[in-house]
Amino acid sequence: MLQGALKAATDTFIERRRDAITSVSDWEALRQRARQVKEHTINNLDYYLEQLVDKVEAHGGKVYWARTGDDVSRYIIELARARGVKSVVKSKSMATEEIELNHALEAAGVRPVETDLGEYIIQLAREKPSHIIVPAIHKTREQIADLFEEKLREGRPSDVAEITAMARKRLRNEFLSAEMGITGANFLIAETGTVVLVENEGNIRLSTQAPKIHVAVVGIEKVLPRFDDLSVFLRLLPRSGTGQKQTAYVSFLNGPRQASPESGFEFHLVLMDNGRTRILADEQMRESLYCIRCGACLNVCPVYQKIGGQAYGWIYPGPIGAVISPQLQSLGQSGDLPFASSLCGACRTACPVDINLPDLLLALRARAKESGTGRKLSESTAMRAIAFASRRPRLFAFGGKVMRGIARLWSRDEQIKNVPLPPLSGWTRYRDLPAPQPGGSFRERWKKNRHE
Amino acid sequence: MSETNSGVNQNGVLDDVRRALGRSKSVPPVPLPPFIEPSIKTAARDLARFTEEATAVRAQVHYLSGKLQPIANNAVESAMRPNDQVKLVESIVELIAEICIAYKGLEMALSGAQLFAEMNLTSKLEAQGFSTFVCNETDHEQKVARLAACGVGLTAASYAIAETGTIVVDSGEQNALLVSLLPPVHIALVRSSQIAASVDEVISRIGKEKVGPLDGARSVTLITGPSRTSDVELVLSIGVHGPKELHVIIFD
Repeated sequence: MLQGALKAATDTFIERRRDAITSVSDWEALRQRARQVKEHTINNLDYYLEQLVDKVEAHGGKVYWARTGDDVSRYIIELARARGVKSVVKSKSMATEEIELNHALEAAGVRPVETDLGEYIIQLAREKPSHIIVPAIHKTREQIADLFEEKLREGRPSDVAEITAMARKRLRNEFLSAEMGITGANFLIAETGTVVLVENEGNIRLSTQAPKIHVAVVGIEKVLPRFDDLSVFLRLLPRSGTGQKQTAYVSFLNGPRQASPESGFEFHLVLMDNGRTRILADEQMRESLYCIRCGACLNVCPVYQKIGGQAYGWIYPGPIGAVISPQLQSLGQSGDLPFASSLCGACRTACPVDINLPDLLLALRARAKESGTGRKLSESTAMRAIAFASRRPRLFAFGGKVMRGIARLWSRDEQIKNVPLPPLSGWTRYRDLPAPQPGGSFRERWKKNRHE
Repeated sequence: MSETNSGVNQNGVLDDVRRALGRSKSVPPVPLPPFIEPSIKTAARDLARFTEEATAVRAQVHYLSGKLQPIANNAVESAMRPNDQVKLVESIVELIAEICIAYKGLEMALSGAQLFAEMNLTSKLEAQGFSTFVCNETDHEQKVARLAACGVGLTAASYAIAETGTIVVDSGEQNALLVSLLPPVHIALVRSSQIAASVDEVISRIGKEKVGPLDGARSVTLITGPSRTSDVELVLSIGVHGPKELHVIIFD
């Protein structure tokens, strides 16, 4: 199921992106300018962060610097406790997914409610997002209707419009009762102290405007020098992400709604490191901080189209995920990610800031090999077993027969689904494997049919 | 509580940034030279382009030819306005009434736009049988709850962008952000002279006039079509959290 949905999604996005970029007379010039701005900013990140912080504070906002994900969670939980916050409306944010903020909030007795429709579905199903732009792409409308019927207990929505209407009604109440809204940010403007948020649904606007306290959790790499720099990025981001010329809403926020503390409005900017300064110190990898999280590299990636976003249990999927995940975590935990690529180069061509993803992946592979963290023991053992068997034709044929027999026994409707045992249980939780066809192996059939 | 030492580089993150860049103190960089944006391919004039782009993202655009001059004192409005202007205001009111007919039982929320006062819009809509609501509520929770119960929100746009069919609302106009967000229908009034050709032109003006000055607008939102999602099987669904209908009424 996942592969079909992913293929449909990625094909649609590729086509829409192609149409959208032809409306710009010189896409390449925009792209190179964006790269130049990012390069300049990242190389002077300390200066622009200082400028940003001064401006945010001048608007009456509070700034907190977090070294780790735990620092972020601790700060927000402390704030929530001090203000008597019981529930929090959240809009889709890769930064808070990265640090699993929801777990920390729940453990502290604060109820987080995801408000982006896709994220809401994922939260109800207690799953992880499979695409950074369409988190619930692996679910069909029937599965979502079943889920809503079971969890919301207001009947079964009969079509997509009813699913949307049901979520709108439910989440409106959450927006009106939550005491705090948590968002990420697409950009931070140093010159003006502005938080920029790009979206289609309106849930980010509601998260920032309905509760009196707004907390934005943002990676330190998201800053841009000047407000005027935005127009290049506002032309690149929606076209690259969803193939739109512009998303429904782009919001610019300067501090809390009212500056006076008596008004009760608060704005907190949490600037998060969580491994980013390590990437910054690494001159070869530094350019992975230029990423604007559009998802274009996922859509064009032939590997991602097949395996999806949850395959390796990490939040940033696809080519950019394979580059930044092992750096944000330690290499040992996700060192196999850079190997999940065909190095075809489609990701670099699609990237709106021209990040040289294939080169970065190659460099990370070399490093993993040097440090011996690239391959798991089980994998190298399996590889050795295959090497042993393929030098012995009879053993190879026998082994193939046994495995085909087991696989056919387990298959339903020519697909292998939900195998309960590792290593296949992880793979088949979200993906189906085609069952081996009857009629024997290629070699058997070749022997039988070669004279026909 | 950590907020007492806000911004003083808790956890040494800024030091880590400097260390990663190989310095102990930040140095003001030479700013990048300005960039001349590549043009966006278009043959149409701004109004036509705006209409085409906004319609493509399912906004409904209504153009009423006729010029409305700003006037200082709305008390003597009808006496001061020439006949053609009185007619224009009448046709705007008629158009709004037509759009809102399905929501007549609910309140109609108006932002604090100067334009509405100049047009004497509240009393004209009341005369058409609508109950209007210009929010002066200071309690935030009550304000949000009441606006959420309204059927229609009326705002005036500060700019519009032809390239993308976008209108811009800002907090300089009282309650404009909530009024344009909470009710299921949003109607925005725009003068054709407010339509700029491209995104970079309007971004530059927002920077200078709205978010740049310290006493400027605290929030500005670009609105392009009604609220939308494609999160379920990539099927477009309109009106997920924000308005289901966006009407843009343009006059000269």
